[in-house]
Amino acid sequence: MSGVRRVALIMVFSFVFLSLGLVYWQVVKADTMLDHPANRRAVFLQERITRGTIFDRNGVVLAQTKVIEDRKVRVYPQREMFQPLLGYATVKYGSAGLEAAKAETLLGFNDISFIHRLQNVFELDRQGNDIVLTLDYGLQKVAYEGLKGKEGAVVALNPQNGDVLALVSQPSFDANTLEKEWTKIINSQGSPLLNHAFAQFPPGSIMKIVTSAALFHAGLDTTELYSCQGSVIINGQTITEQNHKVHGWVNYDLAMAYSCNTYFAEHGLEAGLQSFIESAAAFGFGKQIPFELYVPISSLKNGEPIPSHLDPNLFAASTFGQGQVMISPFHVALITAGVANNGKIMTPKLIDRVLDSKQNIIYESTPEVWLTPLSEAEAAKVKNGMILAVNQGTASPGTIPGVQIAAKTGSAEPGGNRKTHAWYVAFAPAEDPVIAVAVLVEHGGAGGEAAAPIAKAVIEKALKMKEGM
Amino acid sequence: MVYSITLRFLTLAILWTGLGVLKLENMLNGQFFWQAAAFSVLVFIGIFIEYFFGYTGDKNLLPVVQTIMAIGLVFLVRVNPALAEDQFVWANIGLVLYYFIVFGLRDYRKLEEYQYLWGLAALILLIVTLIFGVTIHGATSWLRIGHLSFQTEELVKVVLLLFMASYLDNNKELLRIGTAQVGRFSLPDKKTLGPFALIGVFVLGLLAAQKSLGTALVFFLLIIFILYMVTERPLYLVISVPVMLLTGIVGYLLFGHVRLRIATWLNPWVDSTGGGFQISQSIFAISGGRILGTGLGNGIGAYQIPHADTDFIFAVIAEELGFLGAMAVICLFIVLVMRSFTVSVRATDRFGQILAAGIGTLIGVEALIILAGVTKMLPLTGLPLPWVSYGGSSMLVHFMLLGLLANISHSSSLTFRDAPIQRRIGGVLG
Repeated sequence: MSGVRRVALIMVFSFVFLSLGLVYWQVVKADTMLDHPANRRAVFLQERITRGTIFDRNGVVLAQTKVIEDRKVRVYPQREMFQPLLGYATVKYGSAGLEAAKAETLLGFNDISFIHRLQNVFELDRQGNDIVLTLDYGLQKVAYEGLKGKEGAVVALNPQNGDVLALVSQPSFDANTLEKEWTKIINSQGSPLLNHAFAQFPPGSIMKIVTSAALFHAGLDTTELYSCQGSVIINGQTITEQNHKVHGWVNYDLAMAYSCNTYFAEHGLEAGLQSFIESAAAFGFGKQIPFELYVPISSLKNGEPIPSHLDPNLFAASTFGQGQVMISPFHVALITAGVANNGKIMTPKLIDRVLDSKQNIIYESTPEVWLTPLSEAEAAKVKNGMILAVNQGTASPGTIPGVQIAAKTGSAEPGGNRKTHAWYVAFAPAEDPVIAVAVLVEHGGAGGEAAAPIAKAVIEKALKMKEGM
Repeated sequence: MVYSITLRFLTLAILWTGLGVLKLENMLNGQFFWQAAAFSVLVFIGIFIEYFFGYTGDKNLLPVVQTIMAIGLVFLVRVNPALAEDQFVWANIGLVLYYFIVFGLRDYRKLEEYQYLWGLAALILLIVTLIFGVTIHGATSWLRIGHLSFQTEELVKVVLLLFMASYLDNNKELLRIGTAQVGRFSLPDKKTLGPFALIGVFVLGLLAAQKSLGTALVFFLLIIFILYMVTERPLYLVISVPVMLLTGIVGYLLFGHVRLRIATWLNPWVDSTGGGFQISQSIFAISGGRILGTGLGNGIGAYQIPHADTDFIFAVIAEELGFLGAMAVICLFIVLVMRSFTVSVRATDRFGQILAAGIGTLIGVEALIILAGVTKMLPLTGLPLPWVSYGGSSMLVHFMLLGLLANISHSSSLTFRDAPIQRRIGGVLG
């Protein structure tokens, strides 16, 4: 019966064809299917795996999964203080913040090495990885208490290694009661779910740090005196000083100290558009900040982060941070830290290390330089201007007895008839900075009044902790 | 002897490792220990029975099936522990039935004498089911006697195979050559083909009336393949293609549920929460297994896929054991089907040859159709995967078929040994 052999062949070929079908689904299409919206695998796995704990740099618990009455509950012991940075992870409303961005790490999905998978095959009670943040509970608390009741953001960095020490956004919410109060939260004033540290605002006079670089690069003599008349007409547009002050004869240092708009507008134009745009790019405008969370790209012009052309009026306004310049408080903090760190901006780090369920370190952050917008000498010049601003200029409300700090204020017009956004950036001690802070109080008025006390409190706390160590 | 013992040990190692893992994962309470112990004892007793009766047939058939069954039992315990308790009972009864058929049935050739009775029995079984049967999941294919319900179409598989083998053995030449000329083709005359075609058409028609479309498809392919194997006329294979297409089109136009099946097969994602739910969940489970699988007890298919204990159990296996495990199961089926064909080729009588090839074809076609359905390569037709899916009827009937296969293998090996050399060669060629 040779028919038997042929039918046998047909059978074998059919089975081989069938196994090709398995290859298609299990190898070729495996990832596509995992991402399919109707596929509930990820949700199921999350319910079965215990999410890792999130700690601050000293081991204070920020988020933790506890078993309460046989149910896994995500608990945030610090309530509002670290929100919306930490975010949430719920079945009903999805996830946000760090809980969303680092979900794979917290659930332990990131290391799918062959050996690891083999080990996991018969291991049931899965535990995700723990994340130790660079945040410091003490600093975060001071910043949070300072900003509470206002709208805005505080970002504190270690300028030497890029560690994010505090990141506060107000208003915030309590993720413990998120599901219960969802409608209330999303309808309340000031967008509590939005991280204001990553939202964009006009920088106002803080931008003068960037413009300074343009002056240096163009080779302008910064010791030369300039007469500030209180206002100047450029290309038919009148540029005025804040509160119509007349600063008189100023050089670069004094212009920084008094935050003289006309000096920077005229010298910026003299340095040239090319120099200004290149300096902005060197400080990270138009670039994606390499960070664990998404930070929008800072831009000089609407829809064109690094424009090929700016008309003279817009250019003049941009030199002191008005016009269409938009930047996040987080990026402002990085720029400040760059000045503090001799012109080198370190890559910001929020995650210090990741520990697997057996407390083995599976990731540890290492400091790396992101950008070098200023040379050491140029950074020293900007620093001197900022020191003078503290000692005899607009930034004096931030003065701390016994410690030299360097700072810059900003009062940015948000458009319309609303109060200006208050900015205050600072680092200390000026000679060897251990902390750089950026504070934004939305519609807070002048930077020296609304924002400076918060920055001062954070710096004092940081210096006290440094002494205690 | 050593070989047989080794294979049994491997099989039981799979069973106990699987149950052990489930126990460690707290998915199992103690109730399965005695069930599994009884199963293990029956598996080992088989070695002594084979030795005692001097079994000289194929030594791989039973161990392969027992391995398939061990995997099936472990997964049934994992998917539905309540049903798994029953399944263990059926597995144990099935093993006893197997030993009884291999060693109790003196001469399978006697079965050939009842050829028309078998055909008639097939029809009666199906008609009785259609009239008195119980409808479960849309198909009227269960007969209920007291607490037990039996899926008659499973038993029809045995009687229909016996009918076909005996009928074709008696009329082989006529079917092969053909006496009536139609155009360029010579077809068998009415007298020869008539009874065979009549019973075939009736069986398929009754199954369609019961809405057991999957089983009807299996029987259709079985009839075609057997006709081809016996007559070696490609004509029968060629004819089957337009017949299948035509039936499919008629079915598509006539029945709403056939249209739905086809639509969800072509694009299950459109309605992945409604009609396409089963197949899309099956695909999610299979694709989630990747190469190594999620590990036993770690998949989501067992909770997500409807009928994960019957038609879709392979999707759960493919998820939790991955591509490697799924291929292992497929390979076991390939080995089983190939061994059946080997038994067929070695059989010394035509009845045995046809019967063995028919059993191999049946098991192969069943496995292929349900596996192709679960992996979305064919429209889904509900069928149990032999020895793996939950179901007492299927389990017992497939053990009967395996028993017949082993019996043929045993008998032919005896005849083989006793026969003079010339006949032995003739036996292989003939």
